[in-house]
Amino acid sequence: MPASRWANASSGTVRSEKPADPSPGDSGRAARGLPAYVLRVPTGTYRALNPLTKFVIALSSALVAFGVRGWTGPLSVLVVTAAIALIAGVSRSLRRFVLATIPIVASILLVNAFLYPGATDVLFRVGPLAATGTGGTVALQATLRVLAFALSVAVFSLTTATDDFLADLECRGTGRRLTFVVGSAIRTIPAMGSRAVEIVEAQRARGLDTEGSIRRRLRGIVPLAGPMVFGSLAEVEERTVALEARAFSAPVRRTVMRTLPDGSGQRAMRWLVGLGSIAAVVASIAGRFPLP
Amino acid sequence: MAWLSRQFSTRVIVLIPIAIAINIVLGYTVQTILKLPIYLDSIGTILVGVLAGPIAGALTGILSNLIWQYAPVIGGGTIGPFAITAGVIGFLAGIWGQLAVYRSRPASGTQLILAAIAAAVIVVVVVIPILNNPAYTDPNIGGYPSWVYTAAIVIAAIVAVIVAGFIYIRRDLAGLWVAVAGVVTGIVAAFVSAPISAIAFGGVTGSGTDLLVAALRQGGSDVMSASLGQGLFSDPIDKTITSFVVFIVLGGLSGRLLARFPLGERLLGNRAV
Amino acid sequence: MTLRLSAVTYRYAGAQRDALTDVELELPAGSVLGVVGPNESGKSTLCLVASGLAPVVVGGQIRGSVTIDGRETVGMRPHELAQRCGILFQNAQAQLSGTASTVFEELAFGPRNLGLPLGTVIERVESSLETLGIAGLADRDPDRLSGGQAQLVALAAILALGPDILILDEPTSQLDPQGTRLVGEALRRLAHEKRTGILVVEHKTALLDELADRVIVIDQGRLIREGASVDVLADPALVELGVEPPPRVRVRSALAGAGFRTPGEVDALLAELAR
Repeated sequence: MPASRWANASSGTVRSEKPADPSPGDSGRAARGLPAYVLRVPTGTYRALNPLTKFVIALSSALVAFGVRGWTGPLSVLVVTAAIALIAGVSRSLRRFVLATIPIVASILLVNAFLYPGATDVLFRVGPLAATGTGGTVALQATLRVLAFALSVAVFSLTTATDDFLADLECRGTGRRLTFVVGSAIRTIPAMGSRAVEIVEAQRARGLDTEGSIRRRLRGIVPLAGPMVFGSLAEVEERTVALEARAFSAPVRRTVMRTLPDGSGQRAMRWLVGLGSIAAVVASIAGRFPLP
Repeated sequence: MAWLSRQFSTRVIVLIPIAIAINIVLGYTVQTILKLPIYLDSIGTILVGVLAGPIAGALTGILSNLIWQYAPVIGGGTIGPFAITAGVIGFLAGIWGQLAVYRSRPASGTQLILAAIAAAVIVVVVVIPILNNPAYTDPNIGGYPSWVYTAAIVIAAIVAVIVAGFIYIRRDLAGLWVAVAGVVTGIVAAFVSAPISAIAFGGVTGSGTDLLVAALRQGGSDVMSASLGQGLFSDPIDKTITSFVVFIVLGGLSGRLLARFPLGERLLGNRAV
Repeated sequence: MTLRLSAVTYRYAGAQRDALTDVELELPAGSVLGVVGPNESGKSTLCLVASGLAPVVVGGQIRGSVTIDGRETVGMRPHELAQRCGILFQNAQAQLSGTASTVFEELAFGPRNLGLPLGTVIERVESSLETLGIAGLADRDPDRLSGGQAQLVALAAILALGPDILILDEPTSQLDPQGTRLVGEALRRLAHEKRTGILVVEHKTALLDELADRVIVIDQGRLIREGASVDVLADPALVELGVEPPPRVRVRSALAGAGFRTPGEVDALLAELAR
């Protein structure tokens, strides 16, 4: 890599002026000089959308799925999300998310179908329990809502890299502290996860029972939580000093490095989808939503 | 505003992601690997609240839930909507931190016995009105079947004995305050979670405690009451255990480490560093 | 830029004892100062105090003065300190930001925090990569580096801030001989070409023998010996403190012990062997 392509750049003395931040979409100017593995421009019809757009879609889907009572809300979200999944080519990966909803869906169906308070339209009986039509309807709707929500989450996390989302938020003015917190948390979790696995394995070797009685499993918490928590907290001081040594608390606007493409069309879509979903929820709460 | 930026010093900014990771990893391990009927996913949130204040605590809780819901690879599940509850838990923890609830209060002999008795008395005082009020035991007005109250009294008695034992064995009055903080946090969390669960998830949680929901509904409770009943059973226990874990952890950290946090001084009192 | 410590006494917050007592040292531009001493003698504390991070970030009480070109460090904000005085610790992984997907972005972390124009940021990153010869690591994930590689990246990250003074606390502890040599050469270049003042704590006295102009010995928070590196490292008292002398000194004492007549002859022999 050549030592310097920027012979006419500043000599490196620090200025506290605000850098000329390229606005989102102005990827031409900022991109010069940055290697491709840093720019990481996403490709693909849905993936190439600005991360904020995808996030607004995800949040709005969640809002409509839960907030618009009746069938239209969850069903429309399901249809739209499935379509997006097809366009983005992630339909096969949805399976994991759908499977993860099985415990709660089972609960929803059983508890509500058989034990819905005040329902009298019995459909059939199983022993002492009676399945009611009202209960069944509620159960089915709730199931659809959970599935719609799960799919909207899945589509977001499968098509949006955290780095991209955070970089875009920074372009829009989010402070370095919030982006650090989220970025660091996401990278710390796998590391801590392996540490936890190591500890559980070590405890198992020493006799911790992960399958035995509740009391024995409860006793397993302290040897797990202790080392994990203390170990990570011991690093706080060191990491704080290291961050300060890298000028983390400098009172200037941080240089924007990566920009994600955006456009007026996407801006319009965000407003439309966002406001539209809020309007639908308000209408539903007020009882004025026209569809079932 | 200075108070706000002090809550977010670099040290706190370093602590929060670690706390979020602790929440998620510990919560996942306890729920999925150890398969215990408690969540234990708020240790980090309460820790941040106690050390850095209500806003930092609330932020930790909310971000933990959103990240656990939406992050690539680890995302999924149904925890996202409960970000509100997590935020409230963190906020409360900040209040407890301001009130120095988790500060060690070493005591001996008479004081300890008095505190243990006081704890037992409080429990009894709370329980008697429930026993005596017939309105609560009438299922027709959305109340709970009578076995719920017997169960609640038994659980309260057990908890009182455990807490009193803790206070006595560790010779530390703080155990009483930590237990109160845990129970209050748990009760508030249950009240905040019940409508979320009822609106979003048909009043269930997808875990073993749904059996309790079923039993309550069988006894005649409506969706919200059943959800609340389940919450009032599991949340206070979970949050009290979590609070004690946080208390033990804080006790084990060096004073030098704690003193640099915004609420650290309050925590140390006159503990030798 | 000259770093100067005058009669510096430092105590950590809430500690019973002073960690450093009456330390006096001067680090002129372009010079390399080695620091040796037994474990727990206060070497790491010296690094924190000299860089200004103690007490500014770490807390504690300080008496005496620490100045960079005459300006007291206690009055500076951490980001001002960071640009004048870079510091590197032993645990490389704990020093990385933990937010970068590639080494390139990791190195850019510091300059970006200062709000430098993007062109300058890129220039700083590429220059740091080249100085340490790690351009091949630029697209790697910082979490997946070996201990030695992480240390080099952490050093590069500090260099990217452009400090005129470098303080290093056992920088080669996790490096293999080749990595040690690489870092040693980079430090020498920085001292001679860029006139960087370098304070380096090391157990590897061989490295200090080659690199350092002067060496100080710290024991129990006090500066007990100071002088040219050739003299200090040859002092037999070092061994009693648990500091292993460099090979040059060990060979000389071994030869002298084996009966060579005068130290002058031994030195001549060694010079001959070195050529």
